[in-house]
Amino acid sequence: MNAIQIKMREVAGQLLSLGEVDRVIGWEKGRFAHQSPPAFITDETKVERLIWDEYCLTGTAKYLLDDPYRAGKTGLFARGCDARAINRLIQDGQVKRENIVIIGICCTGMSDSVSRQMAAKCCDCTHPTPVVYDLMIGEPVKPVAKPERFKAVAELEQKAAQEKSEYWTRQFAKCIRCYACRNICPACNCRECFADQYRVGWLGKQHHTAENQVFGLTRAYHIADRCIECGECARVCPVGIPLMELNRKLIKDIQQLFGDYHAGVDSETAPPLGRYSLDDMEEFM
Amino acid sequence: MHILAKANLIEAIERLVKEFKVLVPMQYDGVSRFSVWGSHGMQAFNASNTLLPPKDSLFPRTETLYAYQVANQEITGVTVRDQAEHQIIFGIRPCDMQSIHCLDDVFLTKGYADSYYHSKREKLLTVCIGCTKSEPTCFCESMGINPAGHSGADIQMNDLGSGYRVVAQSQSGQEIVEKWKDLLSQGQEEVVAASCTLKVDMNGVPEMLATLFEHSLWQEVSRKCIGCGTCTYLCPTCHCFDMDIQNQGNQGTRFRCWDSCMFSDYSRMAGGHDPRPSKSERLRNRFLHKLQFFSERYGKSLCVGCGRCLIKCPVHVDITLLIDQVRKEAAHV
Ligand code: SF4
Ligand code: SF4
Ligand code: SF4
Ligand code: SF4
Repeated sequence: MNAIQIKMREVAGQLLSLGEVDRVIGWEKGRFAHQSPPAFITDETKVERLIWDEYCLTGTAKYLLDDPYRAGKTGLFARGCDARAINRLIQDGQVKRENIVIIGICCTGMSDSVSRQMAAKCCDCTHPTPVVYDLMIGEPVKPVAKPERFKAVAELEQKAAQEKSEYWTRQFAKCIRCYACRNICPACNCRECFADQYRVGWLGKQHHTAENQVFGLTRAYHIADRCIECGECARVCPVGIPLMELNRKLIKDIQQLFGDYHAGVDSETAPPLGRYSLDDMEEFM
Repeated sequence: MHILAKANLIEAIERLVKEFKVLVPMQYDGVSRFSVWGSHGMQAFNASNTLLPPKDSLFPRTETLYAYQVANQEITGVTVRDQAEHQIIFGIRPCDMQSIHCLDDVFLTKGYADSYYHSKREKLLTVCIGCTKSEPTCFCESMGINPAGHSGADIQMNDLGSGYRVVAQSQSGQEIVEKWKDLLSQGQEEVVAASCTLKVDMNGVPEMLATLFEHSLWQEVSRKCIGCGTCTYLCPTCHCFDMDIQNQGNQGTRFRCWDSCMFSDYSRMAGGHDPRPSKSERLRNRFLHKLQFFSERYGKSLCVGCGRCLIKCPVHVDITLLIDQVRKEAAHV
């Protein structure tokens, strides 16, 4: 059994038995070897269910929103991406830091469940070591810059407007409007999504390319300065729309316009589009 | 038996395109689905079931029901849009064939025939190809389906290696086979059928579920569910829909489009009440509909064991694990 898993069970058992938390969220084994879905454990005798392997792909933090007024504390296993997601949720006023015990795990990357190679979202990860934690498991590593994660965007930017439009039209023609991308996303934490406000008329409920594009592009804009680059949206999209290319285009533009900003790396620095400053660029005025 | 050599497959299909919109399994842009013969992509006759189910040929994702004009606040003209073409689904797998039977029950029986569905169904022909290999996620056999074929298809084909065995199972199927006469040869070959490696015991499950409505297992199983529409939109039998209007100036249309019982706003009523307020009620409803309510009403399971939801649920909510768990919990009730 791997060292991280042993430690996870030990820590979870301690936190639960001491009553410091009344549940922990980690991962367990699914039916197939390449499936390690999230696990919710409230009983210290059940910590053996917890596992750590290369398929622990799902983010844990978003689950904190399921019952926001929960009385007890949650012990949350958090890799680098989950830690940034926690900061995201704290900063957005969605969860309180004091209600979570963060058990950081220094992550070395997960595998794609189909190709069995390093998962795309992990190849592009800049902060594998949690940026916020109470306890830490594993050996921390320094953040890595990974400028190559903007390669696909740079290539796309070279194309003519017509080509870009065709590319995204073709992608969103595939969209089945399952909203998995939104529902898994820690930055998508609006109490009511614009996509669900049918009566207001932002978005029609019709499933077709035009409305799919309105959904996909609006969602990307809504989280432009708040996407923590966890890559979960692209991972869960059942039809393989390269959503990270959209997100990264916006992240790249924001970095160009407002300087070096990495969402969720801390919970203090205000997101560029959520703050007001007199020296903001006004190129459109 | 009639045998269609694989070398003649294209010709066999080409002969149908004049009269029918022929839908075949295709792989395009990383997604497999039934697409019109000749559209972009790679034919996928050898793969097992497609990622997207064939249900949209009978029950489109978005369907205009009628159009209207308005003048002086009066409706001046209503045009019903009920367009059905002659379609063939060529290469449907037995699980998906069964799913059409389930949809038939919903849209055509018990005294309520949905005219939009009905007109498409009347003009639909099905050519089923039996499975020679199963995916690790296939469990159709446990749901009472034979991977070798389905008696409800107009034509049943089975892959023999170099050709397909062809059996007409209906009058319309017979007519198609007639068109292929010169393409068919006679022979005797053994039909090999897949056997599912994934198995569940469905015996008594609907009755067991009837005793577990208030059980805590729904809370437990649903915790990880993110309430997306992946399982329902990929499921060949899910058939929830919504209706809405789209207005432009003085004209508009009423359409219906797919909806999902897993969405948080699906069961919200005017005034705000929601009988299924959290994901545990929603997930319970989905599974009970699949495994209990439908068999009580129509005498068959609404899950056909195609495995799509097992593959694509982002968090691996697994109906086969649920069935196992139901058996376990029911033993303790
Ligand atoms: S948009 Fe995608 S990558 Fe960004 S935070 Fe949301 S799920 Fe993660
Ligand atoms: S996950 Fe993919 S298919 Fe589903 S709504 Fe998002 S972009 Fe569309
Ligand atoms: S519930 Fe899942 S396995 Fe059953 S028919 Fe639907 S998609 Fe297929
Ligand atoms: S069971 Fe899975 S696919 Fe279905 S709504 Fe829940 S998370 Fe989405």
